[in-house]
Amino acid sequence: MSPRRHQHPHPLPLDHPLPIDADGPQPLDRTVDRRAFLARAAAVSAAAGIAATLPASAASGSAASTGSGGLAGPAAAPAGLAGKDRPGLDVASAYAKPRPAAMADPTELTLAEAAWMIRNRQISPLELVDAYLARIGAFEATYQAFNTVLADAAREAAGAAGRRQRRGPLHGMPLAIKDNYYTQGVPTTANSFLFKDFVPAFDATAVASLKAAGAIVLGKTQMGPLATTRATTPAGVITTVNAWTPTNPGVNPGGSSTGTATAVAARLAAAGTGTQTGGSITAPSNAQNLTGLKPTMGRVSLYGIIPLSYTRDHPGPLARDAKDAAIMLTAMAGEDPADPRTEGLPKVPDLIGAATPVHTGGRLRLRWSTRIGVLPGYSDGTSETAAARRAFLSAMAAIRGVTLIEVPFPDEWDLLTGNEFNNVRLPERSEPFMPYLRSDLRGFGVSVIGWLQGALMGANEYVTGQRAKLLLLERVLDQVFDRCDVVVQTSPTPFDAIGLPEIGFPIGFTSAGEPVGTILGGLPYGEDRLLSVVAAYQAVSDWHWRRPADPPAAQLRTPAGRGRISAEEAAEQSQ
Amino acid sequence: MTPAPPSDAELNTMIRTRLAMLGIDLDQLPAGTAADPETGAPGRDTALASLRSFMRGTVTPLAAYQLPAPEGTGAPADPALSQQRAPMMYPSISVEWRK
Repeated sequence: MSPRRHQHPHPLPLDHPLPIDADGPQPLDRTVDRRAFLARAAAVSAAAGIAATLPASAASGSAASTGSGGLAGPAAAPAGLAGKDRPGLDVASAYAKPRPAAMADPTELTLAEAAWMIRNRQISPLELVDAYLARIGAFEATYQAFNTVLADAAREAAGAAGRRQRRGPLHGMPLAIKDNYYTQGVPTTANSFLFKDFVPAFDATAVASLKAAGAIVLGKTQMGPLATTRATTPAGVITTVNAWTPTNPGVNPGGSSTGTATAVAARLAAAGTGTQTGGSITAPSNAQNLTGLKPTMGRVSLYGIIPLSYTRDHPGPLARDAKDAAIMLTAMAGEDPADPRTEGLPKVPDLIGAATPVHTGGRLRLRWSTRIGVLPGYSDGTSETAAARRAFLSAMAAIRGVTLIEVPFPDEWDLLTGNEFNNVRLPERSEPFMPYLRSDLRGFGVSVIGWLQGALMGANEYVTGQRAKLLLLERVLDQVFDRCDVVVQTSPTPFDAIGLPEIGFPIGFTSAGEPVGTILGGLPYGEDRLLSVVAAYQAVSDWHWRRPADPPAAQLRTPAGRGRISAEEAAEQSQ
Repeated sequence: MTPAPPSDAELNTMIRTRLAMLGIDLDQLPAGTAADPETGAPGRDTALASLRSFMRGTVTPLAAYQLPAPEGTGAPADPALSQQRAPMMYPSISVEWRK
């Protein structure tokens, strides 16, 4: 017989003052900062949270049917971002009068320019969406940037936007959403056999926030299977090409946010979203002449995004310049009760203002005086990339407020950022996928080896890896950022392990016409400074204004034989 | 005394056993080295070779890594006494906690 629970004859509500309270300080249990506690607990709770985020395994027998017969993810929709911890979007600096050369073709416009056109009724959201859909109709067979194009839904949303009060610079903006972001009622596959039938019941928090700001989901984009490599089918067949080399699928378009990068670069979408676990925003941005911002861990909610490695997954924008990236991130960032990693952090600063160049006396200067750290070997050598880096540093040095400073690699940099410690991320991907590993190994396609590797790593090594991450961060802070405010990167991945922000942006082209980009890394929650530096550089350079030529007519159908990535190659290249 | 490095056969047994304990049967993959033409999933011999390389190339070096002792806490050779920093899954977030 179970014991009877004691019932207080007159239960008090929790907030009722107890009658025997003494005067003076109260016990801590009711005064502790709950939000700060949640943030501290994130390291523990995130693992459980991410498991809840993963769509239920069909093979586990726990899949519940959605309205469309797909897999069921978590039933709870995100509460959405209240916006109280971030600045407003509808600010004057979010709008830019278009360049005359861009007025004739709406798909040439940046977000800020298109927003100016819509605000001034020079174009309607429907006309803007139709312009992008026309390019998709003409060229998508070659680019293969999308998994799903939502033409009808986008036109309907654009029509409604045209009849509704304007919401800000994202009002009516057609966006490309990476296919690992949940989109309500729209298949979300992460390019995997495992999720081919998954239709989420709600939008990811980041998608919901973009839509609340007026943006329109134009389509879901091709990506490396489960966010691992450049975009391929789950079986490894190469799909998406670099927008700058549509006739040569051998040129790496960057991964795993490949489809978003190609869509934005090829003017099939105004901007888009990606995720970065090992360079997946900055690498495709560099490869395709875009400005991509990987924010600090926690700045953007991961709720409603199919996980890869939960301590390293970072959602962020891929855009055409720093201002557009700032507009996108302002909408995406902020506290989300559904993701405790976003709580207890500094407020989102004025990113759009930060991305607005400053002139004094008609002369450009940095918004904030900034020491740019240059790592050893960054611009050494005779390669075209090295030459572009030297030219970039020279251009920066000529901007008032910039100081270039040589900084060393921190102690044991090669070891702590090398392949072995990078692999510490792997158990994070295998653990939430255990039901699939037990029942459907072939369903992982070419990506399976990384998931098996994760299942083999022992907890001892994993704990050592977590300790090493803090060691690496402390060395980066103490040995690099004690001398500089931002630092060039020589690889896209080290700051992913320690959650620091990075921005990738264009700095030139090779003689073959392929973009050359570079990456700057910043201090925790230093996205505003990164944007200010890149905005100043983009005020004295024109790489970001350049657009790739359309594919030649002979390429307007899908060429056969784009190649295939093997499982071993996928394991080596995996993000 | 340092044990002899495991042979391929020993590693194969270890890998299969570890996976089996987790409920994962490597025989779901095609036999041999040829990939499944439909899904691209590797043959199980290919997977085993890659996993052996992972065990030797990643797990062993990670296990061998000796974190430096925090200043003033003792010799690195005594890690249990050296008051190592707590593991941190989210280092950048932890910066805010420690301000």
